[in-house]
Amino acid sequence: MTTATDQTFGEIASWQSMLDRHRELFLDMVQGSRIGFVSREASGILPGKHLDGVKVASEVPMLAWQLENGGMSARIERFAGMSSTKVDLLLVADEEALETMRSELGGDTLTVIKRLIRRGRMMFFVFKNKAQLQDAGYEDFLDSLGLAFLGACR
Amino acid sequence: MTKPGEAKLSHLFQPGRIGKFEVKNRIKYGACCVSNYNGRDGTITPRELARVRVIAGTGCGLITNQGAYPDALGEGKSYFRQIAIHDDKFLPQFEMIARYIHDAGAMAMQQILHAGRYGGIDLGYCVQPSVVPQTLPHFRPPRELTKEQIKVVIAQHADAAKRAIRAGFDATEVTSFMGYLLANFNSRFTNQRTDEYGGSVENRGRFMRELIDAIKQATPDNPLSIRLNGAELMDRWGGNTQEESFELMQQAADCGVDMISVTVGWQEAPESSFGRDVEPGYWNFLSEKAKKMFPNVLVAFGNRLPDPAMANACVKDGVFDYWEVCRPLLADPELIHKAAEDRMEEVRPCIGSLNCLSRLFRDLPYTCTMNPMLGHEVEPEYHVTEATEKKRIMIIGAGPAGMEAAITARKRGHSVTVFDKADKIGGALGAYAANDLARPADLQSVIDYYGVMAKKLGVEVRLNTEANAKFMRSVLHEYDVCIVAAGSRTDMAVFQYLEGSELLVDALEVAHGRTKVGKRVVMIGGGMIGLTISEFLAKAGHEVTVIEQEKRIGGDIMPTFKWRHTAWVDELGIQTVTLAHLTKVSKEGATVKTTKGEEKFIPCDSVIVSSPRKANHDLFYEFQWMVDELHGGGDATVPRGLDAAIHEGYRLGVRI
Repeated sequence: MTTATDQTFGEIASWQSMLDRHRELFLDMVQGSRIGFVSREASGILPGKHLDGVKVASEVPMLAWQLENGGMSARIERFAGMSSTKVDLLLVADEEALETMRSELGGDTLTVIKRLIRRGRMMFFVFKNKAQLQDAGYEDFLDSLGLAFLGACR
Repeated sequence: MTKPGEAKLSHLFQPGRIGKFEVKNRIKYGACCVSNYNGRDGTITPRELARVRVIAGTGCGLITNQGAYPDALGEGKSYFRQIAIHDDKFLPQFEMIARYIHDAGAMAMQQILHAGRYGGIDLGYCVQPSVVPQTLPHFRPPRELTKEQIKVVIAQHADAAKRAIRAGFDATEVTSFMGYLLANFNSRFTNQRTDEYGGSVENRGRFMRELIDAIKQATPDNPLSIRLNGAELMDRWGGNTQEESFELMQQAADCGVDMISVTVGWQEAPESSFGRDVEPGYWNFLSEKAKKMFPNVLVAFGNRLPDPAMANACVKDGVFDYWEVCRPLLADPELIHKAAEDRMEEVRPCIGSLNCLSRLFRDLPYTCTMNPMLGHEVEPEYHVTEATEKKRIMIIGAGPAGMEAAITARKRGHSVTVFDKADKIGGALGAYAANDLARPADLQSVIDYYGVMAKKLGVEVRLNTEANAKFMRSVLHEYDVCIVAAGSRTDMAVFQYLEGSELLVDALEVAHGRTKVGKRVVMIGGGMIGLTISEFLAKAGHEVTVIEQEKRIGGDIMPTFKWRHTAWVDELGIQTVTLAHLTKVSKEGATVKTTKGEEKFIPCDSVIVSSPRKANHDLFYEFQWMVDELHGGGDATVPRGLDAAIHEGYRLGVRI
């Protein structure tokens, strides 16, 4: 399902423009690579209540980025829980993060997302392991979000 | 007879008691993750046994052997070459380890490590209380443990504990650090169950209580230690609050554990818990709180606490009962003996580079930046033995490679003289330390150590002496061996035909403080040197733009510290332009060209060059017909960093 404007994520065309501006980040990605964004509040993936996200009661909008025809496309899909969502990486944004992203779509959105992750406004889950993500060409994208450097005994 | 350091650190060196076991001091060797020195099937190798002999001799009163996974399937196995304790076939090696520890007069504790969320390295999945997806790509997709499986896992732990005691260990330990199975059950983040094992803190702690009970029943005469988070640092994910963490500790204490080892952080935690950017002693408040809450349970602690004097004060002040130390003992296995003899200035310092962990998470055996011997104990070639033929060695360069070669060769009986054109030892490391935002004292401590050891061992150091062909002729036939360890330099020649190249500034000159730069700076090179100087300048109020030819900045930085630099770059407002190179310099600024062919002018007052670097190996050509043996080491062969410099210096020192 694709809509021109979504209440949660704003103008899809703006997202598409942003993705086009950053197309070099996705050059190495394989066809079908997918990244999803959902609202923390709407999905119920709240701190300490992740099962509510896994078994989400009603479908909520998910901003999906999918690599197709050599580029990353933005669209709105329905999110029905983690187990049924076919994405490689899921980012879960709280209200503040969503508002910030919407207002920064014309600017350096990826840096904004990176900061939101650092500040804990955006959580993320990975559904592929490191080798799979590397093989799928995610290295540059993960690096741009600072995710590749996170974790593992610091 | 009491040694001078033991008198000074009398609280640390006082005997203790754990259950029925007397312990000679208050120092616990922490299990220190795992070594990855072992077989893929969990068998303990000769390499590991040689390493454990060194651990046994560290002087710690209580020694915890590295974590073994307790299940045959390997769901609990997190590391590529982790040891296993699920079968009696492993007993002989565990018996040897227990014997080594006892022979050294220490109490032997075996850790059981079921990695839970981080486990299943050979299986392609991991087991958890609930299916909570991973936040790091290092780990595997989760499966939920059924109630029946929980019972099996508990029985496996009890069985493993029993086996450890049969092997001769005195005590066992179960670890939740850093986010392993026990932590997964305890935490609100990963335990989403709706049965009696999930929900309230009481329910989430049920797995732990049953685990403690099962191990206590299996090994009633032997103490049990449990490693629990004082802080998970998982707040953003909805992990336990500190209050909940201490409530869980209370449950463990009520269940009769003999020792609580307080830990900090999960592997997924977004902040550092024991890296170089954390001030020593920063987390002590957590163990102090535990000790106050549980006065009748022994408390061990050691997160980011590398200093015996600080540990002594903590024992004295009731912050903890046992100093749990590991990484400083990787850097210097003689640390406790040196502390006991009041020779702390001779300690090879742990600088918190976390090279050890950087390697573990790449499935490699751990090594230590500061201790080139670590992991090579089984190899005679790595041991410092008296040289058959005593030689006169000259070393060009008093940086880490040169100084390490010097002290190692001197220990073997060679006569050693180090020459350096600077007025102090340390080479580029001194300049790097001066610009380091994390903790300059750590890096400076490396230089101080070499200074102390050179003096103690009788290494002659001639400063303000530039080695060149003329100098070499003046000392012709005075030396049998020459080691060129003259480091590297910024390769300014690469830019010699560039318009405005005369305006370029060498990064090393800036780092040494010999050249001042303007308010607006462009840094050519986003590697370790470029970033370190950029961060220092940005913090001092300069506006900095980093130009990097590669796709990413920080390509040569240790993986466990790269995130810190990228965070600093962001926090300090440093601009970065990647996939770009310098094309022109003027008094008004720098022009760069991207790989897409776009030109960009960046107004600035100074353009600093930190990359590329060039090995200072010119002396090889000049000296090759002037000395019997000629060797090179460190950046003088290939520009890299501290780790390679120290390791190559050592290898030269033990070989000549």
